[in-house]
Amino acid sequence: MSQTPQKSLSVFQRRWRKFKTLKRGWYSFQALIVLYMLSLLCPLFINNKALVVKYGGEYYFPVVGQFNEARDFGQRIIGEVEYRTLARSTEEADGDDWVLMPPYAFHPNESLLDEADLPGRPPHFPTSNHWLGTDNRGRDVLARLVYGFRISITFAIGVVTLSYLLGMVIGQILGYFGGRVDIYGQRIVEIWSGLPFLYTVIIISSIVTPNVWVLILILAIFRWMGISLYMRGEFYREKSRDYVAAAIAQGESHWTIMFRHILPNSLTPVVSFAPFALVAAISSLVSLDFLGFGLPAPTPSWGEMVNQGLQNITKWHLIAFPLAALFGTLMMVVFIGEAIREAFDPKVFSRLR
Amino acid sequence: MSPEATPLLEVQDLKVWFPVYGGILRHQVGTVKAVDGLTFSLKRGEVLGLVGESGSGKTTVGRAVINLHKPMYPDVELSGEISFRARQDSPAVNLNGLGRAAMKPHRADVQMIFQDPFSSLNPRMTVLQIIEGPMKIHTDLNKDARKERVLELLQRVGLQPQYAERYPHEFSGGQRQRIGIARALATRPSLIIADEPVSALDVSVQAQVINLMLELKKEFGLTYIFVAHDLSVVYHIADRIAVMYLGNIVEIGTADQVYRAPKHPYSKALLSSVPKPDPRSDKSGRVILQGDIPTPLAKPSGCGFRTRCPIAKPECAGLTLELEDKGKGQMVACPYVD
Repeated sequence: MSQTPQKSLSVFQRRWRKFKTLKRGWYSFQALIVLYMLSLLCPLFINNKALVVKYGGEYYFPVVGQFNEARDFGQRIIGEVEYRTLARSTEEADGDDWVLMPPYAFHPNESLLDEADLPGRPPHFPTSNHWLGTDNRGRDVLARLVYGFRISITFAIGVVTLSYLLGMVIGQILGYFGGRVDIYGQRIVEIWSGLPFLYTVIIISSIVTPNVWVLILILAIFRWMGISLYMRGEFYREKSRDYVAAAIAQGESHWTIMFRHILPNSLTPVVSFAPFALVAAISSLVSLDFLGFGLPAPTPSWGEMVNQGLQNITKWHLIAFPLAALFGTLMMVVFIGEAIREAFDPKVFSRLR
Repeated sequence: MSPEATPLLEVQDLKVWFPVYGGILRHQVGTVKAVDGLTFSLKRGEVLGLVGESGSGKTTVGRAVINLHKPMYPDVELSGEISFRARQDSPAVNLNGLGRAAMKPHRADVQMIFQDPFSSLNPRMTVLQIIEGPMKIHTDLNKDARKERVLELLQRVGLQPQYAERYPHEFSGGQRQRIGIARALATRPSLIIADEPVSALDVSVQAQVINLMLELKKEFGLTYIFVAHDLSVVYHIADRIAVMYLGNIVEIGTADQVYRAPKHPYSKALLSSVPKPDPRSDKSGRVILQGDIPTPLAKPSGCGFRTRCPIAKPECAGLTLELEDKGKGQMVACPYVD
């Protein structure tokens, strides 16, 4: 036994390695993960609230939700301190007080109508302070794009996770138990698929103002049917394999057989469809927002931004930047999906060399 | 272990019928009588070979004994008795159609070796996980004790212990079948159903696996039901051979009786299909059957074999077949031979 035994790799590990060799998908995957992580922290980078304020010998941290009355900071307005103004005034006063603002000190929902470098009525074209300009209410486009990215991706991940969980469990039950469960279950799935999605969303959003979670729930409830049929098929195929018979002959429970024996062998459609479902979910939110049935008004959403671009067709920056962001994101997700599909392609491993 | 004591297994009038559905409303349009009134018994430490062509129901019998039909096809109709005594002094239980929970304690005593070594091992599990699976269910050994036993078993079936962390795709067919055997042995069963365990293997590997199974039988005091279509393999391993045709046993006797002097016309035909190594050997005694085995959906009345039988008579259509002793315990289901 002098040869060093090579480490055994599970099927998943081999596919993961293969995925990593597909550069376009792998880099997109890394980039998207990093961007999403950063966007989760974006209040630290893009915000109109100061990170740290030293005023009158005391420290304040407004960015973590601390509320500071404007009066107490020598500003003659009602409500919260305007930190950008405070930053300017403390700098001019040149005293002990100072304000540390985020690098890009604008909030997505803030109307920047009094800014010195934004003359006239909004929307304003890009300037050196507002890199992507402002929209028709004078809100900073870059801030809205970044916050919109966070919402889009969170929304899409939420929809895909929830709808896939639902679809997988239902598909597994249909496929595993078969027989009557399957016949009647499938009819129910078919009837459910027949419900008109858009009308339901319109009706629901006219009753309640949808927030992100309600929309995720609605979309998930209308999105699980596809994957459930794939899972059903996978389970039908895997169920007839002898390793399942062996598990039954050992006396394993239904639960163990479904989740520990069959499920790991049936994940190919889930993993390969998930990126494309993510694309579909992002686009759905965009189109719902575009139509006005999506997230309520001040929320920075890409669909609403594209809609503004359409209404202000002469302001190129209102069309170009949101569409470029949308295009870039969807393209990266598609690259990931493509790479996953190739990594899962059985022919790659069985090819004669 | 005295072979003369209580039989390990007594199968009485076993029937396994699968309903066939058709039409838009999926109503029952027929019944596949895969096993139709089968009776045999099995002594402790014996190897019973079940032979027959495709569709004769031999695999179905094996799977009925281990109670695989009901969990996989809930609509199956089972009847008859499969009376099983795991140990000499344990009470007999009827395994036929037992529910999941009721069957579970007996699962440890009856295990199965599958035909296809490629689909019978879960590709996502390591060898260790595969073999320790049954131990997790039926013993209360802890993780280390289980691993130790897995390594022992691996060694016993002729594999290196360091293979335990590997995945099935890294092994050859013969090695995989050894893993399957190790898994079947994991709970120390008394009965093993071997469903064509060597038919998917190379001839050279077949002999190794068969010899391994014989050694293990001696060592662990096993009893086998050995399902196969290759008669020379069965003759090598079996003490008794049962020939099946269309869901029934047509002849059962000691391996020598059935292999050397078959009496039922179907057994004769089956035996003459065994290739002889000498190409110049006399072929005049060969019986070649016409046509295929009839579909078990619409069986011929009376003797099922009459449509292909060289000695069929008109009366055969009205026969009620019984296995008759034609001397020295050789039971044949045909009244026209002796």
